[in-house]
Amino acid sequence: MAIVSIRGLTKRYGENLAVDHLNLDAREGEILGILGPNGAGKSSTLLMLSTIIKPTEGTAEVGGYDIRTDPYKVRELIGIAFQEPKLFWFNTPWQILNWHGKVCGIENPKLAAERMLKELNLWDARNKYANELSGGMKKRVEVAKVMIQRPKVAIVDEPTAQIDVAGKYQIWNMIQKLREEGSTILLATNELGEADRLSDRVAIMYRGRLRILDTPRNLKDSIPGGDVIDLRTQNPIDEGIVEQLKRVPGVVDYTLVKASHLRIYLNRAERILPLIMARLNELGVEIASINMKEPSLDDVFFHYTGEVLEEADEPDSVSS
Amino acid sequence: MTKILLVIERDLRSLMQQKSILLMRWFYAIVQIGIFGLAISRIITVMQNYYTYYAMGVIVMTMYSVAIFTGYEIYDEADLGYTEYLLSIPLTRRELVLGRSLAGGIRSLVFMAPIIAGFMFLIGIVDPLRVGMALVALFGFTFGVSGLSITLAVGLKSGDKFDIIMGALDAFIVRLSSALYPQAFMPKPIAILSTFNPLTYAADLFRWSLNFNIHFLANPVTSLIVLVIFLTTFNVAGVAIYERNLEGASWR
Repeated sequence: MAIVSIRGLTKRYGENLAVDHLNLDAREGEILGILGPNGAGKSSTLLMLSTIIKPTEGTAEVGGYDIRTDPYKVRELIGIAFQEPKLFWFNTPWQILNWHGKVCGIENPKLAAERMLKELNLWDARNKYANELSGGMKKRVEVAKVMIQRPKVAIVDEPTAQIDVAGKYQIWNMIQKLREEGSTILLATNELGEADRLSDRVAIMYRGRLRILDTPRNLKDSIPGGDVIDLRTQNPIDEGIVEQLKRVPGVVDYTLVKASHLRIYLNRAERILPLIMARLNELGVEIASINMKEPSLDDVFFHYTGEVLEEADEPDSVSS
Repeated sequence: MTKILLVIERDLRSLMQQKSILLMRWFYAIVQIGIFGLAISRIITVMQNYYTYYAMGVIVMTMYSVAIFTGYEIYDEADLGYTEYLLSIPLTRRELVLGRSLAGGIRSLVFMAPIIAGFMFLIGIVDPLRVGMALVALFGFTFGVSGLSITLAVGLKSGDKFDIIMGALDAFIVRLSSALYPQAFMPKPIAILSTFNPLTYAADLFRWSLNFNIHFLANPVTSLIVLVIFLTTFNVAGVAIYERNLEGASWR
């Protein structure tokens, strides 16, 4: 069941079309990764869903409430962790979380703030002003706001940008915990690994439009011959063996790199590999090594946009 | 109502963090009353006890200058991207605007409380009813000024334009009012213009509440009505402009 339903959503900043008639649904309880370079329209979409900016055309429903006609109801259901932490300099983490909890109507906001600060190793910094916190600390406080709110729909916009590895794991765990507690999560990211690791489904956005939406597994499988098996043998591989392997269902292409090194392009390698092994065994081929590689979301992104994600990066139309 | 109180709490906290600005305004008010007021009241002899009249005017003027802080804070918040946070939380735009306007009024009172208390002590006003009426007059005015400041800040969406307009408004609103001199002594055109100035009514109602120079003052009922119209107009306008104009990202 869709808890977020986007229909023809469009945002134009002057001549710049940031979001172009977007249609997208998020199912209740899932982590929906929204993957795309800067300028793809991710942030504008999320800002419209949060009722912070108004659509030029189209609309969206969150929990059955229209963002245009029931923005207050939508804000009651949504919590957003911004890409750039929104912490006013005169507030301390303690004040920020406590006030946020009160505004969002959570029970016992002080206790929730205390628990969260301790969980995030921010307890010692609870009385520091926001401008005295490190970038990683600010980011954790930003995500913590959503964590204590436990909204029906949590929006996290590039939650681990400019965060060290340990911090990334901490935030990823927080996001997964939030989902386990019942939130639907919209995760905007331009980090492929993050989308792959966390998302149940990934929507690839590019130039304001949705290019493809599916599970990471299905997206990878949608690339013809996307999986690669590097097969090294003890004895040379002749044409007869290659012909036999080509007949295995699912094999798309091959390259004979060396006499004893065959590269096979196929789909769903994990399913077909046993068939290949069995055929090689029948043919008496002794295997020296097998290396299997599945396509990354970068390959998926390239397949659907014609660009690699880093090259596609360009300045965003909105700096959120 | 609870959410409005939360907005007020937040804004009160923010004022307390701006100690240097507060001290500067206090210093200005004290110097104006303690030095300039004493000197000028020796020159002005046509009016009995001009010093007290002047001091009351400075109190209202200073409260005006504190109440317009809210507009400047809106720009600070927009620059920091904090506006987007405020727009994303479960608050109606009405709660946000009214909370901030009320906070503007309360902040001005809190800020000027020591000076007002000291002044009332010096002139011997201890009647709680009169003190209460005076504070209500001051609060009503600054509540309206905060609404005006929010309306202009959100309507203009430009810090530079806001600076210019508030600077001009500050110059005119003080001089074209009875804050520092009674309407009876103003040239006719200025006296006419001052009747359209809420500061005239706020200053006069404040003085009337403290039973001071009542024959020079605007009718208190008229003053009260004007202040109510002023604060209602600009708070309703603030809510309308906030709902219509304010989008997080379009400010940057």
